[in-house]
Amino acid sequence: MTDISRRSLLRAAGGAGLGLLAAPALAACGSSAAAPVRSGNVTVSLWTHDPGYVKTFQSAAKDTKLMRGSRFAYSVKPTAAAGSDVVTRMMAQAVADGDTPDLAGLIIDQFPRVMNARIAENLFVDLRDTVRPFGDDLLKLAPYSVDKVPYALDSDNSITVLYYRQDLFDKYKVPEAVETWEELLEHGERLAKDHKTSIGMVSTGDNGAIVNGFNQFLLQRGGGFFNASGELTLDSPEALEVLEFMTQGVRSGALLALPDPYGAACAAALKTGRLAATAMPNWYNAYGLQANVPDQKGRWRMRTLPRFEGGGHVGSTLGGTGIAVLKDKPHTQAALELLKRVYLTREGQILRYNNGGFLPTLQPLYRDPEFTQIEDEYLGGQRVFDVYGKAAADLPVFYQAAGMQILIDVLGGPILDALKGRTSPAAALKAGLKAYRQQVKR
Amino acid sequence: MTAPTPTRSAPAVPAAAKGASADGATSRTWWMRRQRTWAPYVFISPFYLLFGLFMLVPILVGLYLSCTEWAGLGTPQWVGLRNYRDLLSDASFWTAVGNTTLYVVFTMCVVLPASLLIAQALNARGLRGRDLFRLTYFMPVVISPIVIILVFGLFFDTEFGLLNALGQALFGFGGIDWLGDPEWAKVSVVILVLWRWTGYLTIFFLAGLQNVPRELYEAAAIDGAGPVSRFLNVTLPCLRPVTAFVAVTVLVSTAQIFDEPFLLTQGGPGESTLSVAMFIFRAGFQRQQLGYAAAAGVLLFIAVFVLGRLAMRLLRVGRDD
Repeated sequence: MTDISRRSLLRAAGGAGLGLLAAPALAACGSSAAAPVRSGNVTVSLWTHDPGYVKTFQSAAKDTKLMRGSRFAYSVKPTAAAGSDVVTRMMAQAVADGDTPDLAGLIIDQFPRVMNARIAENLFVDLRDTVRPFGDDLLKLAPYSVDKVPYALDSDNSITVLYYRQDLFDKYKVPEAVETWEELLEHGERLAKDHKTSIGMVSTGDNGAIVNGFNQFLLQRGGGFFNASGELTLDSPEALEVLEFMTQGVRSGALLALPDPYGAACAAALKTGRLAATAMPNWYNAYGLQANVPDQKGRWRMRTLPRFEGGGHVGSTLGGTGIAVLKDKPHTQAALELLKRVYLTREGQILRYNNGGFLPTLQPLYRDPEFTQIEDEYLGGQRVFDVYGKAAADLPVFYQAAGMQILIDVLGGPILDALKGRTSPAAALKAGLKAYRQQVKR
Repeated sequence: MTAPTPTRSAPAVPAAAKGASADGATSRTWWMRRQRTWAPYVFISPFYLLFGLFMLVPILVGLYLSCTEWAGLGTPQWVGLRNYRDLLSDASFWTAVGNTTLYVVFTMCVVLPASLLIAQALNARGLRGRDLFRLTYFMPVVISPIVIILVFGLFFDTEFGLLNALGQALFGFGGIDWLGDPEWAKVSVVILVLWRWTGYLTIFFLAGLQNVPRELYEAAAIDGAGPVSRFLNVTLPCLRPVTAFVAVTVLVSTAQIFDEPFLLTQGGPGESTLSVAMFIFRAGFQRQQLGYAAAAGVLLFIAVFVLGRLAMRLLRVGRDD
């Protein structure tokens, strides 16, 4: 038997301990490249801010009909994080060659962060081949495209409609089928004066809320912040017209200035009946109206947006979350197939709607009986796809660019100044554009 | 060559082994001497290793990043001092510096004295419900910032806010746009800072006050000193070390203020409540300008370090006199 001194034993134990510590550290320093999984059991990791997507993908993984013929047997491992953290952590992991997700939920306003420095190109699967068969039927690809290459599929069409209190419209003699915003604004002026009630709201809180509200109207009017090439197009008559419209609305009281459309102040406005209508996307039904005023069930209705006299669309869009597939990972193929089944098939889009209320992004489905027969109890049993269908057929295209966040930062203040009457709409836009050009140049 | 002569005391060993044994002894001696020399350093090394890993390395990486252009992925591009030059001509940065200075000045001139006065009141003899008061003043520190912001958002709302409703009911005016007007938004942030941190600082002062010997007050009273005189001539001098510590801590932490403006106004309206820490966050994690953010971070670090050192020197922190 060999004599082992206490010192030797301690040294050996110390060496073994260091070795054990070093092993994972060294492994972490190495490349995480592994052979792609081509079939069989696969656990797809999903990072998202919204439990709705988790529920959707987990339901899809268990849906034998949806998964029929797949080479993979899926399970989904979700990680919940704030919307901005999904992008931040994903990039940090990518830099460290660490564990990135297989599927990442990118909130629409976070996507511009990956439009910089070829980040999207380096991280995500190029979806051109995936979406090609769908042509123009697939909506809302533009916000998640860089140099016309799509890198994510939106989960929801986020169609903006006009929600209105039918009882208040009846009471105050506002026609439900009012044609234009200008006409509605006149009614709003009367309502504000006589009944202290408004027919819409504008956000005056943080820059994001302010600029999003402006953008929603601007897209409807036919304008936009950027074109398909990422060039700034804000310097337009449409932008000026929209800001003048908003300013006039706030001044007359037709549009109620609120910090944001979800917070306590908005809830108070809804509860007290100060807000008889509001232009917001489909998801506002659940997250805004039903969440804040469940007692007003049956009193609300929705319709397509009134047009602007100057032209534009009857639909608009605000918000959304694109799902991207991380490239060059063992589960990339499996994740892409899962995404295709859930996001690019009729069954998948029905499942999405049933699990999270996400509107189809495939245009023909707005005429599908499975959807057209849906009635919304909160909206008095209204067949909502009658409205969504019309709006989806006339949706503006929303383009983003890498400088989007800068634009939001520099435009929020001037727009607010215009809404509060501290400056003119023209001067506000000019100030915003000037600041943007200065900051983007850097 | 002479054969080795065996002795009684030592068994015969080959010369090579003997040499090896002598070498081994020398080596052991050397090793033991080394151990004695190095042991203290080994024992204190964990601190330096951690300090190096988590303080020096990030600072050096930050310095390097500040001279690069980097979006978070790929190779940082060396740009020299361009980020610093751009920062110095960036109006947004100077707005953030101005706002942060305002927050610091307000905290030093209002929050600090308010904390001391509240502590003095809580330290009064015969005060009933002292613990309840302490708990109440300390409460804002332990409440979740999210809850605070939700509640304060409603307090400050122009249309439906409590403050405007109170103003209307009591004084007949209530149309203040607390969060929408650039100047009032700053006021809103400082009110929140006052509410949130005064109680916390009060606890420090209270601890200091409880260590002031009662005899000093009694002696001062015998000498005819009134309450104000006792406060100025007994309380304040005795509290000097606590005050100095609190002042330096508050100065350094307020210079890096983030939570309050971020949660209450997101730096808005426009950039009217933007702080330097928010500016850094915005550049790094919203615009992916990590090099630029690092440069602003380096400047903030230098400013905080210099201010902290100056304050420590001025307030004679850690010096006996």
